[in-house]
Amino acid sequence: MAENKMVDHLFRHQYGKMIAILTNFFGLPHLELVEDAVQDTFIKATLLWRAEQPENPEAWLMQAAKNRVIDLLRQIKAEKDRFHKLDTESTQEQLDELFLDHEVEDSQLRMIFVACHPALSPEEQIAFALKTISGFSMKEIAAALLIKDETIKKRLVRARKTIIDQKIEFAWPEPHQVESRLDGVMQVIYLIFNEGFHSTRAEKLIDQDLCGEALRLCKLLLKKERFRSGSLYALFALLCFHASRLESKISPENEIVDLGQQDRSKWYMPLILLGNNALSMAMGYPDYSAYHLEAAIAHEHIRAIRFENTDWQRILELYQELNEIQPSDSGRLNLAIVHLQINQLQEAKILLDAISSGGLQQRNYLLHGCYAEYFHLAGQREEALQQIQLAIEASSNELEKNYLLKKKAKIAGKA
Amino acid sequence: MKEFMMIFIGPSYEEIGLSPEQLQERMGRWFAWGDKMTKQGILRGGKALHAKGKRISGPGRTVSDGPFVESKELVGGFYIVEAESFEDVVVIAQDFPDYDLDGGVEIREVIKFS
Repeated sequence: MAENKMVDHLFRHQYGKMIAILTNFFGLPHLELVEDAVQDTFIKATLLWRAEQPENPEAWLMQAAKNRVIDLLRQIKAEKDRFHKLDTESTQEQLDELFLDHEVEDSQLRMIFVACHPALSPEEQIAFALKTISGFSMKEIAAALLIKDETIKKRLVRARKTIIDQKIEFAWPEPHQVESRLDGVMQVIYLIFNEGFHSTRAEKLIDQDLCGEALRLCKLLLKKERFRSGSLYALFALLCFHASRLESKISPENEIVDLGQQDRSKWYMPLILLGNNALSMAMGYPDYSAYHLEAAIAHEHIRAIRFENTDWQRILELYQELNEIQPSDSGRLNLAIVHLQINQLQEAKILLDAISSGGLQQRNYLLHGCYAEYFHLAGQREEALQQIQLAIEASSNELEKNYLLKKKAKIAGKA
Repeated sequence: MKEFMMIFIGPSYEEIGLSPEQLQERMGRWFAWGDKMTKQGILRGGKALHAKGKRISGPGRTVSDGPFVESKELVGGFYIVEAESFEDVVVIAQDFPDYDLDGGVEIREVIKFS
């Protein structure tokens, strides 16, 4: 029997490709039919390949997808009129063309623009992108975003309905819209990545999948010259830098490891090099964005051989600039953390006080943790303990709780 | 040496809505099991079966359309292996991948005329 010839995530990635190609052929109104057909192909492969694996699983799946087109054409012959021009011998030719590599990529890119269409809410965009482009099941999306299955289902249904109601087409954005539509796409990629990167759950695999998907989508966009921009390269650099230390964030004993304690030799060098390269590419374009600043900050951390070597002054300046062009609660929090690092307690306090309570949502424990650190450094032991207790109560899982309990012990012992 | 048939009973993958990632992961386990038996030189054949089918029965040769049982009890396929005893096959069947989906394995000895 043949050994396992399949690369990791082949099915998941192949799913996205097949959905995109078939949707390109049949149009978005038939998306649900297409999704069922593709799912069916995978189940067939799973059963059939038990006895014998094909030489080239990817080619097999693509051929199966082609065959499905013919099946589906029969299935929707009620709408034959729409497809009459395809129902001839030219179908095969057209089909073969659709399956060429660059066409497959084009189809996937179009699907990304559909997923990030401004008619969909940001929540719907993320759910729809993970389902349609990344091949996540409803359950997997729910688990990845820490949201109920039911909610994800509703978002997907709404997204599909909007696409049909508003007659959104499987097409490139108009030339004058490319820039603003790309902004939306980058935002979704950024959010998907952050879902994976900032989560502190024990199942590292889910986080890696989310981050990996964001990187993959970004790379896909970068392949097209007309989509390239300073912001896109900067975003890619940022994701590479962050992803390089994904492994070091959680210890083998399943404990959160903060930046100061991470084993920097474990940061993944190939991603750092990719990031460096992308960051210098970003500087060659005229546009400038928050992604440039965030990438530069991440780069400063990566650059420091040891935590003690971190250039906090430079990071402070970058965060200040970021906070000016894009003021946000999490920006203020980050800025406050840097001020605490360089012992500028008063500056930190002013920023922390300006953060609206609850504004950080599930990451609210970080605000209390930061206050605790402030009071700790200021020598106000009681207040520090009080805040760390609030942080523990606001934390959403065991990993966070254990991390904070350790911190609490430290504060209690030292004062 | 005797031959035994391992008959796989459990839910069909269509029914339980596995994601592409889960399907691939599950397939990897089937590969691993098949490879292991092949290396041991005990695998004599096997097939996977579709859920749909027909049944012909009774003196009237009545034809009916399946599936005929609840999806949990569907026969999904079989392997034939060579082994000394039922106990040995029970050991072999430990690697069946779908126990966690409430699937199971039925072991039957193949009758030999010799």
